[in-house]
Amino acid sequence: MMENEPTLVTEQKEESAKKGSNRIGVYLCRCGGNIADVVDLQAVGDNLKEDKNITVNIQDYLCSSVGQDKIKNDIEKGKVDRVVIGSCSPKLHLETFRSMAKNAGLNPGLLEITNIREQASWVHDKEDKTGVTSKAKGLIKGAAARMDSIEPLSPLAKSLVDRTLVIGGGIAGITTALELSDSHDVILIEKKPYLGGHMIGLSKTFPTLDCSQCILTPRMVAVHNNPRISMLTQTEVADVQGSPGDYSITLEHSPRYVDIRKCINCGACTKKCPTGAIFLPFVQAVPQAYMIDMSKCSNCGACVKVCPRDAINLEEKKETSLISVGAVAIATGFEPIDLSFIEEYNYPSPNILTAIEFEEMLSAKSKTGMRLQKADGTFPNRVAFVLCAGSRDFTGKGRKHCSKVCCIYSQKQAQLVKKMKEESEAWIFYIDMRSSGRRFEEFYHHTQEKGVNYVRGKVAEILPGPDGTLMVQYEDTNLGRKGREIFDMVVLCPALIPSTGTKEIADKLGVPMGDDGFIEEKHVKLDPVNTLNQSVFAAGCVLGPKDIHDSVTEGISAAHKVSQFLGKGVILIPPEKPVILECNGCGDCVKACPYNALTLEGGKALLSPLACTGCGICVPACPIKGIEIRNFTREQLKAQLKGILSEAPGVIVFIDPYAYAAADIAGVNRKQYSSLIRLVSVPSVHILDADVVNAAFEYGATGVLLIEGITDEKLTTRSDDLYKKLKKETRKHKKPIRYSHIETAQYEKLTDLLNVFASQAGAKAQKMSRKEKEEISDKEELAS
Amino acid sequence: MKKEPIIPESKDSAFREQVLKTPVGEKILTCMQCGICSGSCPVSQEMDYSPRQLVRMVQLGLKKEVLSSNTIWICTTCFSCSVRCPRGIHPTELMETLKPIAIAEGITNRNVKFDTVFSDVIKTNGRASEFLLISKYSMTEPGMIKQLPFGLSMMAKRKLPLSVDRMENTKELGTIFKLGEKSREKK
Repeated sequence: MMENEPTLVTEQKEESAKKGSNRIGVYLCRCGGNIADVVDLQAVGDNLKEDKNITVNIQDYLCSSVGQDKIKNDIEKGKVDRVVIGSCSPKLHLETFRSMAKNAGLNPGLLEITNIREQASWVHDKEDKTGVTSKAKGLIKGAAARMDSIEPLSPLAKSLVDRTLVIGGGIAGITTALELSDSHDVILIEKKPYLGGHMIGLSKTFPTLDCSQCILTPRMVAVHNNPRISMLTQTEVADVQGSPGDYSITLEHSPRYVDIRKCINCGACTKKCPTGAIFLPFVQAVPQAYMIDMSKCSNCGACVKVCPRDAINLEEKKETSLISVGAVAIATGFEPIDLSFIEEYNYPSPNILTAIEFEEMLSAKSKTGMRLQKADGTFPNRVAFVLCAGSRDFTGKGRKHCSKVCCIYSQKQAQLVKKMKEESEAWIFYIDMRSSGRRFEEFYHHTQEKGVNYVRGKVAEILPGPDGTLMVQYEDTNLGRKGREIFDMVVLCPALIPSTGTKEIADKLGVPMGDDGFIEEKHVKLDPVNTLNQSVFAAGCVLGPKDIHDSVTEGISAAHKVSQFLGKGVILIPPEKPVILECNGCGDCVKACPYNALTLEGGKALLSPLACTGCGICVPACPIKGIEIRNFTREQLKAQLKGILSEAPGVIVFIDPYAYAAADIAGVNRKQYSSLIRLVSVPSVHILDADVVNAAFEYGATGVLLIEGITDEKLTTRSDDLYKKLKKETRKHKKPIRYSHIETAQYEKLTDLLNVFASQAGAKAQKMSRKEKEEISDKEELAS
Repeated sequence: MKKEPIIPESKDSAFREQVLKTPVGEKILTCMQCGICSGSCPVSQEMDYSPRQLVRMVQLGLKKEVLSSNTIWICTTCFSCSVRCPRGIHPTELMETLKPIAIAEGITNRNVKFDTVFSDVIKTNGRASEFLLISKYSMTEPGMIKQLPFGLSMMAKRKLPLSVDRMENTKELGTIFKLGEKSREKK
């Protein structure tokens, strides 16, 4: 594969900071009543009056055109040259406001948002207005102090590798790859030996009943024949290196023992094989090539001898390859939950199967010649469909979410049973019949007309009945009467969960997942196929259960988003990188850097900004404090801390962007925690040293928490050392300090921790002040 | 059974709140009426209202029907419903929560009487005695006289021993019950 070496496109322009002479505009948003009902914004504004350089303005909705125009006018008229906004999370509107600032001629980096909604007004006791207002006063004051001291920087631009890795060869991945291949190179990898994902294992598709393989096979062949798509089956992601826009990814290929480029599908090998180990997965499989199941192979070599193309190699081993890509689309899909945990359903047993097994029996992958049959080979005359098996479960045993497609596919399967044998019976046991979607209610109606039996009630038990039948026990909730029914076959509609390995891939690419295990969208409604990593996209069931139509829609959307991303040619990377102010050439920073971004040249440390992720681990590593992260320097952080704590003592929580997102989710879910908590956003907790933490304590912090959400092991394996070092070096203050690793999805863990720590810090502070008072009174007594 | 329409007057919000505030009440509002509790219940066919219906009635605050239903007394506390409920509601514990409320409200019916006789026997003897239970219950329920021939035939087959089994130190047992009463009064 050709390596496309990324280059630094533009060098940052530097303007000098003029601390103290900046005109800072502080704009506070009432957000209807979302903020103003809890936070006294007037008081927050009045609190800044003393500072002549600051002007304050309060608006109903800053994000509206009225709100934005106000800021824009102020910038254009020269009233303000730096902007602090107190509003919702920067994750929501920072880009909005920064592009407005850019249009007004201001360096976008000179506009920052302080989150007083998701991390203040939404998460504290609504009655505690004084506490929340005091917190907001501090946060805004800190933000203004920080804004006064930061330098205007320009983002760095790096050229992109114009190639995309699509992970997953199901319908979502196939669509993404095909759509992209018009203008970009694509590598499509699939774990299984063939393309098609779950869709190739479906029979007819609702609501039109067209055959799944008939509509899918042409797409699979198109992928195979497309010159711009490299299709690799039996391939998984082993390792990810590099940064957004420029990844080096190691792929691992499992052996097939048959060279797919040589195999002509003649079938000579399978005729000679004495153990049935060499086979074609199924007739329509793409790639069209045989494969060997090594667990069956006796290694006799008969196939090798008979193959006219010399395509078979029994010695094939697992291999790896290295690819270079600029963007990744995750389309790893779903799998059914293992239903054996529901003891009362007795799965697996003969004639109790999942809906996916039912589908496969009637699909291209069928092992029964596409005949519906019981374990004994006869047709099931009475079939029950049990919905919500393992889903809509809030006990922790199953999954909370609804699997979305079961209501419709079970009706389709019931129709198929009736179609195959008119006098057969099909029963659907449901809790709620959810058939929203175009043509779905008509489908429901049509299924009822066909004579399918609907029972509203979750099945309680499935027990063996007489003569190998199955007895289903339930309550017909519409009548309020218990019922029992005998069936030949019971089809369980399982909860659909993210496929195995989703977490590993997400972690490798630095993409957060929700607590349900599905990939988290950048914005659930407005950015549905973007992730929080700007070069990683997602489509299909890895974002939640959905039907073919929606998976295809997301595949097309993801392709568009990838194309938009790659089309820019460059990726902007944050300018908050280390600056080497002083160097004695000791090389400690070079050793500390996990990304090989620092080297020693001519006895001095030299930074390669492209390799640097801005983690800041080099900052505390430097023994002479010669390294600072631009705009997160020790002095800047201290100024911010001083402002935050100027109002009242509080708990300082240094939080990285991944955990910051968790705090935002907690806010959206209105999880309550103490208003003493003050979050300080840092690019990574590793930039901190005792200097900054001690300053926090000196300014009045009752405790310090370090919360890290990044899953990159290069950093997380060093966190314990960081914590121990900080704990040791801040011991003199006798105040609590703690470190915790909290991923984006774990927002409940975060709020629990914040509450526990706030009360611990509070208790400790009380104890300390009592002690001090006693000491003072002791001294007074002595003096008198 | 006459089915009264559900009108605002039939709902008692104080009762509803009272039950929702108990430990088992926490999840009552999340019931989705799937019916797995009633489908799993070995005795739901004997109940006026199935467990699922009872939960719904608590949600609505239908105090009179809930407390006078036989459902809460028929429950055998097999816990099948509690184990299987996908929302983590514990109907068995709900029944146990509703019983003392029904007694405190002065509800009297066959089931309450039987429960009172049964617990009296336990309180005095420390063990259940079938003979005492049946004879005492018959005193409160005149209709039981019809069961006499059946009882006699059981006695003849030595299936109903006349001896009363007692535990060794019933005094201590009495103290335990008294302490229990006291702590409940305090609450």
